[in-house]
Amino acid sequence: MNSCRILIVAALLMLLFPMTVAGVGTTNVTIGVNGYIVLNNDIYIELLDVGSDMGWSAQVHFYSYQDSVGTKKTLYIGDIPTSYTSGSGMTTKVTLDSVFSNGASFVIESSKKLYVTDRHAGEVETESVTVPKLTITRTIDPNAAEIGQTVKVTLTIKNTGNGTATDIMLDEGTIAKTYKDGCPSTIDDIAAGATKRIEYDLKIGDDAQSGTREMPASVLNYKGESSDSYSTQSRSSVLTIIAETVLLPEMTISIDPIDYVVTCGDNVPMVVTITNVGNATSEKVYVKGDLPLGVRLKGGELEPVYESVKPDKSEEYEVTLVANEEGKHVVEMKVMWADEEATAVFEFWAEKSGLEKYYIYIIAAIPILLILLWIIKRRREYSY
Amino acid sequence: MLNILVLGLGQCGNRILDAMNREAFGRGGAFAKYYTRQKFPASVKTIAINTAINDLKGLVDTRAKDRLHVPHLHGVGANRTLGKRVFEDNKEIIMSEIDKRGTFDLIFIITSAAGGSGSSFAPLLVRELKETYTNAPVICIAVLPFREEGSIFLQNAAFCLKDLVEEKPAGVLLVDNQYLKKYAGDIKSAYDKINTTTARRLLFLIEALNSEMLMVTDLGDLKTVMNGGIGIGTMGFYEASKDSTIKSAILGSLKPSGLLFPTNVYKEGARAMLIIKGDKKYLDLDLITKTIEELSTEVGQVFKGVLIQKGRPRVLSLFTLNSVPELEKLYATAAEAIRFEKERQNQSKSQLDSAFSHIEDLEPIY
Repeated sequence: MNSCRILIVAALLMLLFPMTVAGVGTTNVTIGVNGYIVLNNDIYIELLDVGSDMGWSAQVHFYSYQDSVGTKKTLYIGDIPTSYTSGSGMTTKVTLDSVFSNGASFVIESSKKLYVTDRHAGEVETESVTVPKLTITRTIDPNAAEIGQTVKVTLTIKNTGNGTATDIMLDEGTIAKTYKDGCPSTIDDIAAGATKRIEYDLKIGDDAQSGTREMPASVLNYKGESSDSYSTQSRSSVLTIIAETVLLPEMTISIDPIDYVVTCGDNVPMVVTITNVGNATSEKVYVKGDLPLGVRLKGGELEPVYESVKPDKSEEYEVTLVANEEGKHVVEMKVMWADEEATAVFEFWAEKSGLEKYYIYIIAAIPILLILLWIIKRRREYSY
Repeated sequence: MLNILVLGLGQCGNRILDAMNREAFGRGGAFAKYYTRQKFPASVKTIAINTAINDLKGLVDTRAKDRLHVPHLHGVGANRTLGKRVFEDNKEIIMSEIDKRGTFDLIFIITSAAGGSGSSFAPLLVRELKETYTNAPVICIAVLPFREEGSIFLQNAAFCLKDLVEEKPAGVLLVDNQYLKKYAGDIKSAYDKINTTTARRLLFLIEALNSEMLMVTDLGDLKTVMNGGIGIGTMGFYEASKDSTIKSAILGSLKPSGLLFPTNVYKEGARAMLIIKGDKKYLDLDLITKTIEELSTEVGQVFKGVLIQKGRPRVLSLFTLNSVPELEKLYATAAEAIRFEKERQNQSKSQLDSAFSHIEDLEPIY
């Protein structure tokens, strides 16, 4: 505090006794918020405000006697000098040197010798302000999980300010039908420059809806040493909820005929394949076959029983059928497991054999042939 | 059942034989041979014999195995001298072929008297058959040519008939193309008609000889008839119209219009055989007997046979002649033609000799 008083006294003295800047054209001035100085009875430099949002800054209003409107500019620490030329043609270059809670100090340069001819700089608390600035990021690992699983949520809070963050309250976003385990609502103070990592489990409830879900942002409300309140938040996160995998067997049945068109009385080989396309082993798999009229089983077992069929495994067997009647025949095969069943249909066409097909014609042709032979015989008999 | 052999010699004989075979198929027409068998009224064996293979090929209703080709180029060219030599050279083949048909009760030889093969083979064949089949009468059906056919045919006819008669067959039945030309306008139609008519009459006769009759005539009667007169005769035929009597039918069969050779039966007839077929209702036996008795006083011995058969009365008359004026005319014409031909030959030879005499003393200069 003593140093503050010294600075205040110095500032008052400077107001009473205009002083010449030590170097030609360069001077350091400290101005309180809403205070101003006049350089060389021409240029007014008024400090309108100080800020720290995008880095430490000061909003300054430059104007002169012949330029009463002037210009307002925001100066940042570390930026290049800001130039202002008065209405009389005097040019200054101003650099923000430091920022205080209610004032800022500037370095002013000019080609002319500078005098602070008037001053209404106010009282400047030259002690530096401590402000906490928290940033929060959130990760979910894994970011895709099945219903019933638990994922880990990690919150990383970093204080990038120069003051300790206190009274930190965490308002964590929530996805419906998910449950947090170990997620704190308050967080210990975080000193400037410190980072805090918080982990908690997020369990996806059984009744959660599958799909891509957005987890709202984590919001931090905190205070600085000066009891000022601040707030920050993370970005929202995405969690993909996958429906729970049900372990069930599922059987398919297929029939691979050798021929689609066969002759009545000929063998009709038929390969039946049963495949478990489910994700669980099926116990007791029954096969049932329904042969149409006019078709009979000649070889092989039509309705086998399998004790178990593992997932992605197949059972294959061959049967031989015989069609006694012509026409379209439909063989229906069923595979049954648990209370489920699947059906496959095999259609084939049975034609009469050539002899049978042309029987009538052959019968009709025989007498014609005989007559023809007889005619030929008689013709030969009477040909010389 | 009678075993009858029918031999068709030469083109003419072949065709009459073929017509007999066709008639034996009945009313089936050209296709009958494809679905039916020949039904001869007796056990009839037929052989067509010829030196011209094309004539044999031209036959339609004669089985191939019943056609005998006597190989000599393509016929003997109406040359009876050559024909006789060919026969002598091949008679074993011919007789062997005949022998395969078994034994016979009656043999018919059908031939043209004017052609080459037939007219030359027939007399020699009669001789051979008589020697081989002593009990079988051989009857020749000799077809006489159109008179305008030429001197060679007339000459052949004259000498053939002479040769035939000299071989003493059971009989010679004449068929005169010249006389029968009236049947049709053109030659081919006339030939077809003559062939068919002759074939039908022969079959009529064969059927009668082989059938049980109401009034019987048989092979013996036939032989007796054929021995009558000069052994030469012919056949007549008549089919009664609706209103005609059996008497008119019998007499109709003797009319010139029904004869195969022009003759006056009442004047020249020696013996006759009448075969009457018809429905019983038409056949008045008393009238038949009476009519035949009346005929016998004019014609000579008349044998009769009556065969009950459906239809109106049909009468076949077969008779031998005591004299044949028409034949005399034929021979006179033939002799004239021969002489004329000979004169022309001599004249031609003289002309040729005269022509040659121009160079008699000369030698070729090249």
